[in-house]
Amino acid sequence: MIITLHLVAFALYGLAAALAWAPFMGFRPAPRALIIAIPCAGAAVHVVAISQLTLVGLGPALSMLALCLVLLQLASERLLRGSAVSFFAGPLATGLLGLALLAGLTPAPEIGAARNVWFVLHVALSVLGLSLMALAFIAAALYLLQFRELKARRFGQVFQLFPPLERLDQLNQFALVAGFPALTLGVLLALGYGAQFAGQGGLHVAKAQIVWGLFTWVVLGWTVWVRVVRHWAGRRAALASIAGFCAVLLVYVALKLTQPGAERFL
Amino acid sequence: MTGHKAMGIKVAGVNHNTAPLDVRERFAHGAHEVPGALARVMAAGASGGVLLSTCNRTEFYLVGDDDDPVLETVWALLGERLPANPAPGGAREYGYIARDREAVRHLYRVSAGLDSMILGESQIQGQVRDAWEMSRAQAGPVLHRLFQTALHVGSRVRTETGLGMGTASAASAGVAVAGKIFGDLAGRTALILGAGDVAELAATCLSDEGVRVTLVANRTHERARAIAERLGAKAISLDEAWPHFATVDIALCSTAAPHAVVTWERVGAVIGGGARRGKPLCILDLAVPRDVDPSIAQLENVFLYDVDDLQTVAAQATARRRDEIPGAERIVEEEADLFWAWYGGLGVVPTIKELRQRLDHVRAAELERALRRFGHLSPDDRAQLEQFSQALLNKFLHEPTIALKSAAEEGRGYGLLEAVRRLFGLEPPE
Repeated sequence: MIITLHLVAFALYGLAAALAWAPFMGFRPAPRALIIAIPCAGAAVHVVAISQLTLVGLGPALSMLALCLVLLQLASERLLRGSAVSFFAGPLATGLLGLALLAGLTPAPEIGAARNVWFVLHVALSVLGLSLMALAFIAAALYLLQFRELKARRFGQVFQLFPPLERLDQLNQFALVAGFPALTLGVLLALGYGAQFAGQGGLHVAKAQIVWGLFTWVVLGWTVWVRVVRHWAGRRAALASIAGFCAVLLVYVALKLTQPGAERFL
Repeated sequence: MTGHKAMGIKVAGVNHNTAPLDVRERFAHGAHEVPGALARVMAAGASGGVLLSTCNRTEFYLVGDDDDPVLETVWALLGERLPANPAPGGAREYGYIARDREAVRHLYRVSAGLDSMILGESQIQGQVRDAWEMSRAQAGPVLHRLFQTALHVGSRVRTETGLGMGTASAASAGVAVAGKIFGDLAGRTALILGAGDVAELAATCLSDEGVRVTLVANRTHERARAIAERLGAKAISLDEAWPHFATVDIALCSTAAPHAVVTWERVGAVIGGGARRGKPLCILDLAVPRDVDPSIAQLENVFLYDVDDLQTVAAQATARRRDEIPGAERIVEEEADLFWAWYGGLGVVPTIKELRQRLDHVRAAELERALRRFGHLSPDDRAQLEQFSQALLNKFLHEPTIALKSAAEEGRGYGLLEAVRRLFGLEPPE
């Protein structure tokens, strides 16, 4: 059942991504209602699927990340009054869900600690923080693409379909500023959870997980600091967001390669 | 635009297809002139009127049965605004008339932007709304409904087709490009260099989007002051303008200078310095030859567009919009049918009443004549005969009454009403 629901969500996200990209392939843009309704339906199915998962392991983590990304995409549709975020978020969420299916989503053996409310909150907030960081990355990428088109006086599909620069800049700032407290709380809850279950047979936490979690928190903190304290905006802030997100991704891949296995997020 | 005179909706006016700009300017009515103009056509016999007056059209939408005096008044009213030696036909020379369904269709096309100089432009919908608001007291129920539905048609066309997509003039393309940089333009500040017609038109376009035109700079101070007053801005000289490049969001350049006036030497340090703090500056260069040195575009947050760029944006939009015409026309036809069905239904009850009265009058006259011939009949027999004639009339009228009512309910009332009126020689409805 979990796999079937994930496959349905995967298909709907894939369809939504294809519709978002249709104008770039010479097709007429799909009606806005359809562009919103399809990922909405996918997210509804996905929520049902995730509610049956134990949030332990790579597959469930990726699945939750994909869901958060789709929900943030839908929220930003409203903020931007356009579907540009779906150009990136759609394929990214589809890809993450595909990876989750490949990594395996069968329910893990019941681990008492994984049902603990602090653990669930830790996972939810950390994934939300990461998703917001991904959203900031997407907004930054869209910003740089639109910036390049406007500077080069090209008035093609990017000019027509992408949102205005300032709105993308605002979305980037919002995602970073909202993502940092979420991730901070996620990290703090992990520390509290670790202390509570120390020596009681809780979930095993590898050092790599701690290193990556803290590294991500520091990087996100830095991008927020340059935006809020140093007042970086526009292109410079977009580049900082992209650099930060890429660094987090690279460190994750590097750590994952040194410690393979799907049983843990890292 | 043709039609018959039986129904009472009509439009008479001029637009950009029938009259040159200098004539249209003369015919344009300010808001304060609308009530007076409408009062005159109402006095001539119109039972309802709305005056739509924009820079591209002046049109009187009227309801009334007696065509000629009303239309004569319209042409006279417009003719008075022509110079001393007008064209032989006066204002009529530039005008057109559409009646009934054609008039409805015409307004729907206007509201949808199908009849606009710039295909699909959206400003007209606000102008239609304003005209309706201004003429509320004189419009009457039919024109109220007509204008209400016209706004609905405009919205439908813009929502269901791509007719309003993009932008289709250099000035509005400038607004669109600035919108792609800043998003919401309301509250942004603009500096205008030059005080010609192009600068003024483009400044008005910006102003319509909520941009605050704060400064107008020109070689001739008087001309700058005239435009600045109209836009609520401050007039300055060109040399005073350069420092302001550090603060404004949009610079619109349209001077008649034979060479670039916005040069790296004059504004490079101002824009590139720390004062802007990376804030984008959109420069719209509408002048030919260009006012802005192209090297200015190398500055990080400067977005510079010349006439060619803006015309490219406009041309793309126009081409895309043309593909949407059939869809938009389909909506106009659908809505015109609906309105016409509603309007046809309005006359059903009075027509049935009038038809019944007319035939009852005939029945009574014929009965009286027959009774005169049959003087030997008893009062009882006479009463029986009268009852018989009434029953016969009722039988005859039953089917037509049912048919008219159901046709009206189904939205086909107008055609049948017309047939009944013509067959029985009834007067057109009020």
